[in-house]
Amino acid sequence: MTVGSQVKQTIASLKNAQATLKIYSIQSQSEETRRVFNEALSTTGEIISGMEARLKVLEFEEPQYKSR
Amino acid sequence: MPNSFIILFRSLLMFFITLLLVRLIGKKRSSRLNSFNFITFGVLGILAALISVGLIGNLVLGFIAFMVWGLLPIALDYLGLKSIWIHDLLYGKETILIKQGKIMEDGLNQVRLTGEELLRELRSKNIFNAGEVEFALMETTGEINVLPKADYQPVTPHDCGQKVAPQTDLQTVILDGKSLDENLTTIGLNRGWLNLQLERSEILLSNVFLGQVDSSGDLYLDLYDDTINLPQPKIKELLYANLLKIQADLTAFSLETQPQDAKDMYADYARKLKGILKKTEPFLLR
Repeated sequence: MTVGSQVKQTIASLKNAQATLKIYSIQSQSEETRRVFNEALSTTGEIISGMEARLKVLEFEEPQYKSR
Repeated sequence: MPNSFIILFRSLLMFFITLLLVRLIGKKRSSRLNSFNFITFGVLGILAALISVGLIGNLVLGFIAFMVWGLLPIALDYLGLKSIWIHDLLYGKETILIKQGKIMEDGLNQVRLTGEELLRELRSKNIFNAGEVEFALMETTGEINVLPKADYQPVTPHDCGQKVAPQTDLQTVILDGKSLDENLTTIGLNRGWLNLQLERSEILLSNVFLGQVDSSGDLYLDLYDDTINLPQPKIKELLYANLLKIQADLTAFSLETQPQDAKDMYADYARKLKGILKKTEPFLLR
């Protein structure tokens, strides 16, 4: 497995976690819980965009592994 | 009029009057009786019986006695709300039995309690060693309440420095195979949501005996058919595990990557994710 595909996998996991966090940030009853989940949501969002930018660099460096 | 009709009439009358009076006296009194309350209730009961079987021939005279015993305690209750002095006169004061770990013999004598009886009361509170007690007092109702010494008190999350997620009450949304719309709307959900959840676990509404939604919005189901093993929601635990794995991945990337800027970026993300894990742990795992 190349670095590129590993990074892709991690991004996919992050998106999965983000979706679940989103569900809980909406359906939780208490204000505090929602606040914590929203905070986690924004941080994961930041990580995802950073990782995607890194993925572009990786694909530029190893174009043979670029997914179609 | 034959005697039996008179008795019937009196009994019915007293039945409803007593019912009304007891409702008027209220909850506070009937749950914890002190000895005076006990006497008032006793007298009321006996008077009601005597009037209804006609042992007190004159209805009016009977009523006077009945109303005095019924209404005076209520009136005194209201006065007791206004004045501490009257309250103490009515209910007495609680007596301290154990103070700073020492048994107060004067207190025991005052409430005429022997050492053996005190020990029995402590045992009923699951304390077998009197040395474990910091403070104990007898309430005006005769009940003994005990504060154990700090190191014998049950451990709470607060003691461990653990943060726990706030828990609001559970809402029952399904009972006996029927959805309870009122409870659903109080937590901002509707039937559509419920049907979606049931569809996801492939269960018919009519097969569900009990369905409850907890504060984080997860649905717990109990089915009529106990042979079916329903997977209980483990979404939060899975989410936590997922986040842990991502954090480990990021740490590995930061070690494997050559360019310094990318290395720093991964390390920074791993650190941020660790922060999230720490913050969400009470909500996801407990």
